[in-house]
Amino acid sequence: MHPPISLILFFLTAGLSIGSFTGIFLIDLIKGLNSNVILITKLIATALIGLGAFSASFHLGHKMRAWKAIKRFNTSWLSREAVFSGIFGFLLFISFLIQLSYNTKAYIILDILAVITGWLSAFSTAMIYTSNRFVPDWNTSLNTLYFLNMYGFLGTSLASLILYLNGNVESTKIMLIIALSLFIVGLVIRVAYNVRRYIIKLPTLNDALNLPQNREVKVLDKGSTTDNYCTTEFYYKKGKKLLPSLLPPAYILTFAVPIMLLITCIAKGTNTSFLALSLMSATVGSFIERWCFFVEGRHVQNLYYGLL
Amino acid sequence: MGTIMGQLALVIDLNTCVGCHACAVNCKEWNTQAEFGPLSDFDPYGEKPSGVWYNRIMTYEIGNYPHTQVLHLPKSCLHCQDPPCVPVCPTGATFKREKDGIVLVNYDDCIGCKLCSWNCPYGCREFDEADKVMKKCTLCIDRIYDEALPPEQRQPACVLTCPAKARFFGDIEDPESEAYKLIKERNGFILFPSADTKPANHYLPKVETKVEVDDNVLKPDNPIFLEVLSRHKGGNR
Repeated sequence: MHPPISLILFFLTAGLSIGSFTGIFLIDLIKGLNSNVILITKLIATALIGLGAFSASFHLGHKMRAWKAIKRFNTSWLSREAVFSGIFGFLLFISFLIQLSYNTKAYIILDILAVITGWLSAFSTAMIYTSNRFVPDWNTSLNTLYFLNMYGFLGTSLASLILYLNGNVESTKIMLIIALSLFIVGLVIRVAYNVRRYIIKLPTLNDALNLPQNREVKVLDKGSTTDNYCTTEFYYKKGKKLLPSLLPPAYILTFAVPIMLLITCIAKGTNTSFLALSLMSATVGSFIERWCFFVEGRHVQNLYYGLL
Repeated sequence: MGTIMGQLALVIDLNTCVGCHACAVNCKEWNTQAEFGPLSDFDPYGEKPSGVWYNRIMTYEIGNYPHTQVLHLPKSCLHCQDPPCVPVCPTGATFKREKDGIVLVNYDDCIGCKLCSWNCPYGCREFDEADKVMKKCTLCIDRIYDEALPPEQRQPACVLTCPAKARFFGDIEDPESEAYKLIKERNGFILFPSADTKPANHYLPKVETKVEVDDNVLKPDNPIFLEVLSRHKGGNR
């Protein structure tokens, strides 16, 4: 599949937004936090989800009609993603305004709802890809688990930095342990996902043409002398060539570097540059990793063109 | 989606199709100037022409040399009876008509998210870069119900133009229709049955033709064989 950069940016910003707000919300519930930390997190999370929605709109042919995406909530995961992420951003912003303007704890109800809708949005995003039966590489619960986990480790990395910069050393340590656990779980899921790619049995051209398996079939003519929408959208030739050289740096930047930095922080004491570096590495790594995720996706329509 | 009253579809005889692409060309011609048009073209006379086609013809070779067969496969939207492109559409722009089972796109509601094409196992939807919406075969809905046309003309453009008469159109659920009868009598089959989308368009299987060649004809000392060889070498034209 051809990787849409606008959607990859949405995954990252939504992950940072939903994950960081959830992390800070939970720490606040457990240990109690200074209201400034919560306010800053809400502001950052609102800006990030807004930025993500803006970025995702570039994937659409008609941005001004994007609001219509709420119409098929009952069947479409994309519709659900749009609704839940919109509500998440709206609730966060209102909660920020209430907390800023009034001396009341009523915003907590909004925060709870924001956490719920945020994760429903993350789940919907994952299901857009997982529910696609025609890209067998994506059609696995490992995909959903990875998406949710990615939102978790990106968000907790950002939350750790916010907490540390605001002088919450003890809370930072708790957040670092959560982040480290999520990075390790993420690495396991991603390896399992890659191993599965080599194990799964893909359909054949014989399946696509409804011919017996024992008949040899080959493509003689693709019907046009140049590429068309189907051959460029579902088969990214340049990406396939780059994939072997980009997957290792994706693993290193997404998992190896942050895991090493976080272990160092937990064992020998935290410092701002290590946390910032870990966050940057995980974000850049995840950008490359999600790019690889799209290129790795093999769509069955490619069978008709002899490209699978 | 409510109960579908009928299911209009194409039935394509692979035994007769010669892969001339006339169906694709006439489809492009009609749909470019009709109600659903235009179908955009980019660099049409240049080095890398591209554009939207509702219908594409692919050619396959089946079997091993010398026992091979050529199969031409015209492929357009199959108007699936369980279309995976419909529920994923976030706006409801893609829908299946209850009256005749035709799957259509409402261009005014399409946001161009491409998710429908990602969920089509046949690659029968194309994004129009000029109009920024998804496009696909409409079964020439603007022809088949046009009462201004004589009844024999109320058929999809591809069916009317096919010089080999390899394409048929009708209600595949109506036992009286030609399409229904062809599917039943000639073992009509569907593409990619494991995709479980219940395509409405059917194909009539290719009948294997075996040419028996006497071994003596292929002997190197056969005078006819030698003549053919010399002509190929350009010595005796």
